[in-house]
Amino acid sequence: MENKVIFEKGKEGRRTRYLTKPEIPLKRADELLPKQFLRENLNLPSLGELDVVRHYTNLSRLNFSVDTNFYPLGSCTMKYNPKVNEALASMEEFTHVHPYQPSTDVQGALELIFNLEQILCEITGMNRFTFQASSGAAGELTGMLMIRKYHAIKKNKKTKVIVPDSAHGTNPATSSMCGYQTVIIESKENGLIDLDKLAKSCDSEVAAIMLTNPNTLGLFEENILKISEIAHKIDALLYYDGANFNPLLGITKPITMGFDAIHLNLHKTFSTPHGCGGPGAGAVGVSLAMSDFLPAPLVDKRGEDFYLNYKIKHSIGRVRSFYGNFNVLIRAYAYLTSLGADGLKRVAQNAVLNAAYIREKLKQYYEPCSILPSMHEVVFSCSRQKARGASALEIAKRLLDYGMHPPTMYFPLIVNEALMVEPTETESKETLDNFIEAMINIDKEISEEIEKVKNAPHTMPVKRVDEVYAARNLNLRWQSPGASF
Amino acid sequence: MPYILNTEKDIKEMLEAIGAANFEDLFKHLPREILLKEPLRISSGKDEQETRKIVESLARKNLPLGRFNSFLGAGCYDHYIPAALSYLIGRAEFLTAYTPYQAESSQGSLQTIYEYQSYMCLLTGMDVSNASLFDGASALAESALMSLRITKKKKVIVSSSMHPEYLRVLETYLSGLDFIIKEIPFDAAGLIDIEAFKRALSDDTACLALQSPNFFGLVEDVKMLSALTKQKNALVIMVTNPMSLAILKEPYKCGVDIVCGDGQALGGNVNFGGPSFGFLATRNEFMRQMPGRIVGKTVDCQGKPAYCLTLCAREQHIRREKATSNICSNQSLNAMAAAIYLALMGKEGIKEAALHSMNLAHYLYESLSKINGVKVIFSNTFFNEFIWQVEDAKKIIRKLRKKNIIAGFYMGDAYREFRDCILSCCTEKKSKEDIDDFIAALKGVLNG
Repeated sequence: MENKVIFEKGKEGRRTRYLTKPEIPLKRADELLPKQFLRENLNLPSLGELDVVRHYTNLSRLNFSVDTNFYPLGSCTMKYNPKVNEALASMEEFTHVHPYQPSTDVQGALELIFNLEQILCEITGMNRFTFQASSGAAGELTGMLMIRKYHAIKKNKKTKVIVPDSAHGTNPATSSMCGYQTVIIESKENGLIDLDKLAKSCDSEVAAIMLTNPNTLGLFEENILKISEIAHKIDALLYYDGANFNPLLGITKPITMGFDAIHLNLHKTFSTPHGCGGPGAGAVGVSLAMSDFLPAPLVDKRGEDFYLNYKIKHSIGRVRSFYGNFNVLIRAYAYLTSLGADGLKRVAQNAVLNAAYIREKLKQYYEPCSILPSMHEVVFSCSRQKARGASALEIAKRLLDYGMHPPTMYFPLIVNEALMVEPTETESKETLDNFIEAMINIDKEISEEIEKVKNAPHTMPVKRVDEVYAARNLNLRWQSPGASF
Repeated sequence: MPYILNTEKDIKEMLEAIGAANFEDLFKHLPREILLKEPLRISSGKDEQETRKIVESLARKNLPLGRFNSFLGAGCYDHYIPAALSYLIGRAEFLTAYTPYQAESSQGSLQTIYEYQSYMCLLTGMDVSNASLFDGASALAESALMSLRITKKKKVIVSSSMHPEYLRVLETYLSGLDFIIKEIPFDAAGLIDIEAFKRALSDDTACLALQSPNFFGLVEDVKMLSALTKQKNALVIMVTNPMSLAILKEPYKCGVDIVCGDGQALGGNVNFGGPSFGFLATRNEFMRQMPGRIVGKTVDCQGKPAYCLTLCAREQHIRREKATSNICSNQSLNAMAAAIYLALMGKEGIKEAALHSMNLAHYLYESLSKINGVKVIFSNTFFNEFIWQVEDAKKIIRKLRKKNIIAGFYMGDAYREFRDCILSCCTEKKSKEDIDDFIAALKGVLNG
C-alpha cells in the first residue's frame, strides 16, 4: 500500500498543544505589521501527535541503517556509532549554549574544541585545525582557498590543480569553485598515480595536487614521497582528501607523507552518525606554513581561559556562520577519548584486515581492480558477471534481498562495473562471512536463475525504483489538489 | 575501547586466510620511512564510564540558556521543541543511514526529505526546494553563485543589514572567482538605502541579496525592491527566517527568485551554533541551477509510487568540475527534523509560535521604549527582534549578566555605528514575567 504523504493525513481541528499562551494581550499579526507584508493563508496540515509519531516511525522502518544492517558502502566508512556519544552530545549543557553567549559561559565547549584540535594535530602531525567546515567538501573548499591565499601572498602565478582520474567528484568541483582549472591525471594500470605523467603535468602554474591516500581504489599510493617532492619542487602544495584516513590511524601521519593541508571527515573516521546525509564535519588541518590562512575564529588559551581568537594574520575569512557543527564535534571527541592511541591503531589494523579478508574470499568470483594489496576497502569489477548478463547495479540490488546495504557502485569511474566494499573495523567475522556467502550465492544465481538477480530487489518495501522516470517526470514536491502550479 | 568485534581467535583465522603472519604484514607495502616509530602521544583508551566522566566534566563548565533569562537571537533562536521531535529524529534508522543513494532501502529518508522540500515550498511559496545546505550563510553564498550562473553577469549587490557572518562567508566563497560584491548601506530607518541601491544597480548586476527580516529584525519592502531589481534583469535573493514565514508574505509573491536562509528556528537546538541547516528554494525555471541534493517522487518497476534522488546531472559525482556546487553531504537530519517539527506543530501551532514570539518581542519593545535613557532606534515593523540604544551598552550587558539576564547581542561587535546598541529577541519561550523582570533589572542597573 502506498504511504500517504503527511499532507494527506491532516484534518482541520486536530492538534496537540505545545505552547503556553503569553499573559499579555495577544494582538493579531495585522495589528502589529502593515497588511501588505503579511501572508493571506498558510496551507499546512493539522495533525495530532500520534498521527505524526506513527507516520515518521513507520517511514523510518523502510530504511536500512548501520544499526539494522551491514552497510559496506565504500568511501563512506559506515562504522558503528557508539551510543554513549549520542547521550553525551544531547546533554543540555551542550545543546542549549548559544553561539553569542560570552566566552565565560561556554568554557566547556571551547575546551572541548581545543582538546579535539590537539588530538587531531597529534594524529595527523598538522599544526592547527579549523572546524568550521560542515562536510568533507566544505573542508576541501576551506583548504583549497587557503592554498589559493598562500600563492596570492607569495605572488605565485598559479592557475591549475591536478587531480587523479580516480578522485572523488568533490575534488574537481572544489577546484573549480576556487577558480582553478582542473587537470586530470590518468592512473596506471595497477591503479596508482602515473609518476611520469604527473611530472610532465607539473609546470610552474600548478597550485596544488589533490590526493586521497589510500586512493579510491583502496590502494596505498606507495610513491607518495616522490609525489610530494614533485609538487614542492614547483611550490605546488599537496592537499589530502582524508576521506580514507581510517586505515592509517596510528600507522602514519599526513604530515609525514608530505601533505600541507588536509581534511578529515569526522562523520567517517571518527564515528559520528551520517543522519541520511548529514550533519557531518570536515576538520581542516594545515602545516605551520599554512596556519596564518585559517578561517577565524580559532579557539586559543590564555592562562586557564579558552577564548575565540579572531586575530589570524592572513585569514581567508569565514566559511560558515558561528563555529561549525559543534554538536558533531562532541561525538568525535567522546569517540577519540574512548579509543585512545591503542584503540586507534587497532581500528586501522582491523579495517584493513576485514577488507583483505573479503577480498581473499571473493577474489575467485569477483575480480579485484588491482593486483596491489587493498587497504580498508576493496574495489571489485563485476565485468565477468556483466559478461554473463548481470551488471554491478543488479548485483547490488540483489544484495538488498540478503538484508545488506550494497557497496558503492560505479565508483571509482576508472573501474568497469565497480563495486567498492568498505566493511570497516566494527563488523565481525560472522557478518563478513555472511556477506561473502551472499556475494558467492549471487554469482551462482547469475548462472542458475539470472532473472532473480536482474529483477532484484524482491523483498524491499518497493521494487526497483525507476530513476529515469523520476528525471523525466519531475515531481519534487507535494501539491494540494487543485493547485494551479 | 575501539568497538571491535573481532576476537583474537577471529583475527588469527582471518590473518591465516589471507596468508599474513601478523598485522604488520598488512602494511608492509607502505614505505618504511613514513611508518610511525612510536605510538601516538594521546591518552590511552577508556571504558565507557570514564569516557562519560571526562566529557561530562566539560559539559559542566558550560552555562546553558536555561540558567538565564536570555534575549539572544541574532540568527540562532531558542524556540520550544516538542519532546516527540528528538524521539523521532533519534530513531537509529534515520540517524545511522547514509545519503539515500540506494532508493529501495531508503524510502523512509527519501519520503521525509520530499516532505521537507514540500514544506519549504509551502512556507516560501516557491516552486522547488533542494534537500538542504550547510547553514544560512553557505546557503546565501550558494544562492549568489547560482545567480551568477543564471544571469552570466558579474556583480552581486548585498545590503549591510544582512547578518554580518553571512556577508563574511559570501566574501570567502567568491574570493577565488572573478566576481564583484558591492555592499550597500542601510538608511536611517535601518532598511536598505534605496538611493544607494539604485546607484549600485547596473546592467552587470546578477542579483540583489537582501535579508528580511533583516539583521536588525526589520521587515523590508521586498516587493518594491524586487520591482527595482527586475528593471536590470537581475535576480532577487532573499535570506529569511523560516519561522517568520508563518506570518509574513510568501517571498514568491514578493517577486523573489531565490529564497534561502538558516532553518535552525524550525525545531533545531541552538547547539552553540551548529548543526543547523541551510535551505534554498527557487522558481521552476532556475531548478537546474540549484546546488545540492533533490528528491523526486517516481514509481517502481511495477508502477507503485516511490522516491529517489533526482536531477543528479547537476552534481559533483556526475558533472565533476562542471558541477553546480561541490556539495555532497548536506544537513539531512536537521532538514528532516524541520519537516517533523512542522508536522508536530501543525498549521495552528507554527502560527502560534511565530505570533507569540512577535507579540512578546513587541511587548519588550514597548516596555523598553518607556525607560528613560533607552531609545528604540528603528520602527516597530519587526518580527521577533529589534535593536535598542543605551549608553555604555557593553557595560549594561555585563551588569545584567550578573543578574542572570542575557540582554541580547552586543551590536558593537558587528557595527561600528551601533556601539551603544543591543539586539534583543523574544521567542515563545519567553513569558510576560521574564520580560518584566528584564525591564525591572535594567531600570535598576540604569538607576544604580
